[in-house]
Amino acid sequence: MSGGHCKIKHYLPLAALAACILVFPVLITNPYYLNVANIIGLNTMVVVGLNLVVGYAGQISLGHAAFYGLGAYLSGILAVTYNMPPWPAMLIALLATCLIALIIGIPTLKLHGHYLVMATLGFNLIVNIILIQWDKVTGGPSGFPGIPNLQVGPWMFDSDQKMYFLIWSGAFISILLSLNLVDSRVGRGLRALHSSEVAAASVGVPTEKYKVKVFVLSALFASVAGSLYAHYLTFISPKTFDIFFSVELVTMVIVGGMGSVWGALFGTIFLTSLPNMLHLFDEYKDVFYGLILVLILIFVPEGLVVAARKRWLRMSRHADKFSSGQITDSRSREHYATASRAADLGAKGLTAFSHPSANEILKVEGASIRFGGIMALSQVSFDVAEGSITSLIGPNGAGKTTMINVVSGNYQVQAGTVIFDGREVKGKRPYEMAALGMTRTFQNVQIFENMTVLENIMVGAHAQTGSEFIACLFRLPGFRQEGAAIEQQAWETLSFFGLDEKADWPASSLSFGEQKRVEMARGLVAKPRLILLDEPVAGLNIAETAEIAQLIKEIRSTGVSVLLVEHDMNLVMGISDRVVVLNYGSKIAEGCPEEIQRDESVLSAYLGSVA
Amino acid sequence: MSIGDQLAQFVVSGLTTGSIYALIALGFCIIHNATGIVNFTQVDFVTLGGMMMYTFLMGLGLPMPVSFVLGVLAVTGIGGLVQRLAIQPARSRAIIILIFITIGVSILTRGVIKIIWGKNQMALPSFTGDTPLVVWNAAILPQSLWIFVITVIVVALLQFFFNRTRVVKAMRAASFNPRAAALMGVNVNRMILLSFALSGALGAVAGIIIVPITTLNYDIGVMLGLKGFAAAVLGGYGNSVGAIMGGLLLGLLESIGAGVISSTYKDVIAFAILLSVLFMKPSGLLGYGEKERV
Repeated sequence: MSGGHCKIKHYLPLAALAACILVFPVLITNPYYLNVANIIGLNTMVVVGLNLVVGYAGQISLGHAAFYGLGAYLSGILAVTYNMPPWPAMLIALLATCLIALIIGIPTLKLHGHYLVMATLGFNLIVNIILIQWDKVTGGPSGFPGIPNLQVGPWMFDSDQKMYFLIWSGAFISILLSLNLVDSRVGRGLRALHSSEVAAASVGVPTEKYKVKVFVLSALFASVAGSLYAHYLTFISPKTFDIFFSVELVTMVIVGGMGSVWGALFGTIFLTSLPNMLHLFDEYKDVFYGLILVLILIFVPEGLVVAARKRWLRMSRHADKFSSGQITDSRSREHYATASRAADLGAKGLTAFSHPSANEILKVEGASIRFGGIMALSQVSFDVAEGSITSLIGPNGAGKTTMINVVSGNYQVQAGTVIFDGREVKGKRPYEMAALGMTRTFQNVQIFENMTVLENIMVGAHAQTGSEFIACLFRLPGFRQEGAAIEQQAWETLSFFGLDEKADWPASSLSFGEQKRVEMARGLVAKPRLILLDEPVAGLNIAETAEIAQLIKEIRSTGVSVLLVEHDMNLVMGISDRVVVLNYGSKIAEGCPEEIQRDESVLSAYLGSVA
Repeated sequence: MSIGDQLAQFVVSGLTTGSIYALIALGFCIIHNATGIVNFTQVDFVTLGGMMMYTFLMGLGLPMPVSFVLGVLAVTGIGGLVQRLAIQPARSRAIIILIFITIGVSILTRGVIKIIWGKNQMALPSFTGDTPLVVWNAAILPQSLWIFVITVIVVALLQFFFNRTRVVKAMRAASFNPRAAALMGVNVNRMILLSFALSGALGAVAGIIIVPITTLNYDIGVMLGLKGFAAAVLGGYGNSVGAIMGGLLLGLLESIGAGVISSTYKDVIAFAILLSVLFMKPSGLLGYGEKERV
């Protein structure tokens, strides 16, 4: 994304949108259509924000009409009842709405699936009932009238046309900000947690914080839109902000295409204008609306914009085969050149790290954890020497993966300590461990299926980089260099793993073996001190296993320590510096591979006792 | 009336609406157990039950029991139809898409109901008169008794059906891993069809027995249905014992909240309690703890 070509590609649609926004009121002067266009603009602001929550972060909220309503009512009440000038009133409304979103978001976003749906729906119902019942303050079911128009200096926003420009500036800004966010470190983090929260956390994405932050951000968009709505129509009533509107908002996201900013815009335009178009059908209006919705969801579930883009890409790719095959070729060659340089660097470092040092990078002491009645780990102690490959083996159910989860922060020990890089890591969450320099892979491969191979690797660098929401939204200085650096690093890692040819492929389309390599590459791009590999060759054939064995040795040679869990004894005995054997949650042996192969207790654990 | 007497009254009315929530919640659960989705059309099954009853009883003048049975059968059929026409042909199996298909069907269904039955309030007579019985200082409407009795019968029938057949296992399997279930000889689509038909029947029963107490109009099912959904969530989504418990509990909370604190804010109280339960127990009262799988 660093080349000038890409920049134009990025801004061209935005320029086209700006042109459309400017031309529309010149062509259309009918106040009815302008009014519809204004409502579309307001809805766009809400839906674009909601899309970040639903489409990107994958959290379904059926409560956003409440934030829209809070913005509208707080603005209106402050301006009318408390005689506050509209702009400061809007600001206070916005801050209050964000605060409410934060308070609601923290416990709510811990919920998953249907529970999250219910909680957000319940929140919306509560807000709506209060708007209806607290009539002394809100005007009750009959609404709240007399909200003043907005004003900037002598300029009153008192007509559909004037409001049009204000509203669509807001909509344009929200689209711009959202495009900025999705194509950034934070955006990738959000998509990653959508696909797998544990995997996202393992590379340093603070999943819970991100969910809450994006929720608050979307509430902010909704609140501004709500305030504009109040000052535009000068009259608000609770019915506008009921749960049905929340449902409609999410429908707009889905119909346009989840996880596409342009999809959100199109879905909003389509579904907001649809009822107006269906006016002809009078009492059959709802039937047609429902029918169109159902048909789209049945036959174009990925959303209209996403489906159209896919089809277009397929067609243009087909055409590309004949014309521009060379371009992609040279591009990957260029990257390969930089990558082999990186490999050289790695090779130079080899001598320095070829032998495990005396310092231990990881020290586990007396770790115990109990699940119900089962002692999954009891009093296990072992070290991983810096620069070594240490393997954890044992029969099924011995507690190997549990140990990995304890070390990575997914589980907390009930007794004992885990010391990583010289400090005790009690209570540290997985994303914090990633920031300290520990990453991992998973027994059941957890790649981000909704992203390309390159993006998967780029998420891997999350812990190492620092652009947060504000920096990403506004593309603050430093953002660009950081993005370019991450991308460069991701390419280098990809070629190290022999995956650069497939950088643009959707990660879900790779073979199982390749997915395992993507997962390892993702864990390594941030140059961790220690990587935990949970059965990296399970399910792979002999050739693939040999490749992975070679890769693991190369990983060690770049100075990264490895803690390996594996059942493949040829692999373990071939590459390990040290082997720890677990059985029924206890350590039964520890030593170099030769010692372990001769150990009586290990043999009896695996083969049954001879005695 | 003393506080104790009042409380008895609140308990009776709470259990009455709670039974309705429980029936609706069971409908949500059955479809969840077969598909993993929330079927928001459930809401309209309740309305349709009332509407069908109205047509058979008032429109065609059929006897009460006959109208009851025909009403339930009709909505059972509609439930099946929803599955065949909207869920089965769906190109995506993604939960969120299927959920929003049911929302679309719900909008469509309400549109159709408005066209057929109009937007006016209608009323249905109680099954057996309106003279309240006084038990332990609480006045109980005969319709409330009918609601208790019918709810118990329905729950017992469901229990019998699920215990005596392997259907419930097949349903769970169909939802958890449709391909593996199909390989084991489970007709996945038929399981889902059955679940929609069953929950249509449950919704219809709930609608038919509650309408004599409330009134009847095209969106009567919406609030009742959402409370049913809330009840299912409260109990632990997909757990049928939890659904019944959640329904009764929600009914009680609401009625006591309305009586003791404020009747205008009774829904706020009910939902606020629901939210606080979820915040403390994120998978409902009887739900399996969703252990982070690594």
